[in-house]
Amino acid sequence: MKWSQFFNTSIGKKLLVGATGLFLCSFVIVHLVGNLQLLLNDNGEAFNTYADFMAHNELIQLVAWGLKVAVIIHFWVALQLTFSNRKARPVKYAVNPGNQTSSWFSRQMAIMGSILLVFLLIHLKDFWWAMHYGDLPKGNFGGKEMTDLYSTVYTAFTTQLWLVFLYVIGMIGLSFHLIHGFKSAFQTFGLNHVKYNGLINFLGVWVWGILIPIGFALIPVIIYLKH
Amino acid sequence: MVHYNMNLTLKVWRQKNAEAKGNFENYQVSEISSEMSFLEMFDVLNERLINEGKEPIAFDHDCREGICGMCSMHINGRAHGPWEGTTTCQLHMRAFKDGDTITVEPWRAGAFPVIKDLTVHRAAFDRIMEAGGFVSVNTGNAQDANNIPVAKDIADEAFAAAACIGCGACVAACKNSSAMLFVSAKVSQLALLPQGQPEKKSRVLNMLAQMDKEGFGSCTNTGACEAECPKEISLTNIARLNREFISAGFTYEK
Ligand code: HEM
Ligand code: SF4
Ligand code: FES
Repeated sequence: MKWSQFFNTSIGKKLLVGATGLFLCSFVIVHLVGNLQLLLNDNGEAFNTYADFMAHNELIQLVAWGLKVAVIIHFWVALQLTFSNRKARPVKYAVNPGNQTSSWFSRQMAIMGSILLVFLLIHLKDFWWAMHYGDLPKGNFGGKEMTDLYSTVYTAFTTQLWLVFLYVIGMIGLSFHLIHGFKSAFQTFGLNHVKYNGLINFLGVWVWGILIPIGFALIPVIIYLKH
Repeated sequence: MVHYNMNLTLKVWRQKNAEAKGNFENYQVSEISSEMSFLEMFDVLNERLINEGKEPIAFDHDCREGICGMCSMHINGRAHGPWEGTTTCQLHMRAFKDGDTITVEPWRAGAFPVIKDLTVHRAAFDRIMEAGGFVSVNTGNAQDANNIPVAKDIADEAFAAAACIGCGACVAACKNSSAMLFVSAKVSQLALLPQGQPEKKSRVLNMLAQMDKEGFGSCTNTGACEAECPKEISLTNIARLNREFISAGFTYEK
């Protein structure tokens, strides 16, 4: 089987979705740790220094572009799978089993993913695009002149309550997507073993599914409440 | 278990042939014994329909003992009805109570077209088997049994996978009409054993390619198949299928 055929099979496509999904999972944890610096009471010195470093380190910029490519592949292949899965059942059942045979989360992946996509587009436009191509205020932090992303973030969340809501909804989407998605990706790679399933389930539900999304959602909420 | 009789309303899918549109028809059945099987209840109804000069309801069945996999019926939203690890022929009417309304639909999947009423065509499964679900056997004298050592736990695992009866409940239960549980059972029963090694790589690639070609959906790991499988085939088989597919895809030269 040629590579082009391999990645066009149902399992091949799932592997692309799973690999990009786990790559994004590894990113969100780093992203959260970095962003929590927004909550320090240092007028943005730590966060801006970190953001400035991230924006100017070439290796990190390479990974950052890789992330965007990963989102596009993830979205595009998942969309294809979703449509071909719908097509596989042209006549629907009159009665469906609901949660009796599968978890609710496992059936909402495409919807939660779509919420995430809307969130990501607005998120990237507001902060990533603005940081790299916009005209943001500058400031002196730790003796160095740099973009003041910190105050940009604070202005965004303290002046636009709807944006705070959007972030909370986006993180609910992330939570529900990863409660199923994290462990599902391991199964896709064939990693199903009694000795590790408990750990994978725990990490997927509690760390990636609950802790990380709550951590992210708290940032805009706390910023809004502080002012 | 106390015996009781019940009166039921059946909402059954009627469809003349593959091209016809089809619709639900309501039937009242009375004095149904809690000791009857679900198919016997249909026999009672069909006998009445025949006596009334009406077309009986077409449904598939053969062994009526849970081993042939023919008795495909989607009952109140569940493949083979509400009981776990059972086929429709092994479902008893004591699963229901007097006055219940029971909706019965055929398996719904593009790859399993309806032939008539509740019978569907599962030839897609046969074509998947033809694509690779076999082993090469040398001519000559038969070997002694037990000549090839197989660890007991591996033999048990292969046997558990081989319990698949090809009923299609996994496809019927899956929101994507995916046949992954069936294919994984058929790949696993051979991949686990020494006898299955010669075609190990080509088997999994060809069977999966055929599965896709038949128009089954892909797996999203919801687990509905495992929950509905009458032979309780485990999801670990799907993980094994994925592993087999990945290793064959990365290393098979053709
Ligand atoms: C761009 C928006 C997104 C869309 C449209 C989307 C959509 C999907 C869909 C349809 C699936 C397959 C569903 C299934 O297997 O049941 C999926 C799986 C997955 N997604 Fe996303 N997703 C998006 C963003 C994300 C993000 C940001 C992450 C991680 C932080 C992520 C992580 C995963 C994981 C780990 C899987 C499981 C892969 C597997 O089962 O092999 N997704 N996504
Ligand atoms: S895996 Fe289970 S549900 Fe699927 S065809 Fe085999 S026996 Fe039937
Ligand atoms: S009729 Fe054979 S399994 Fe039900």
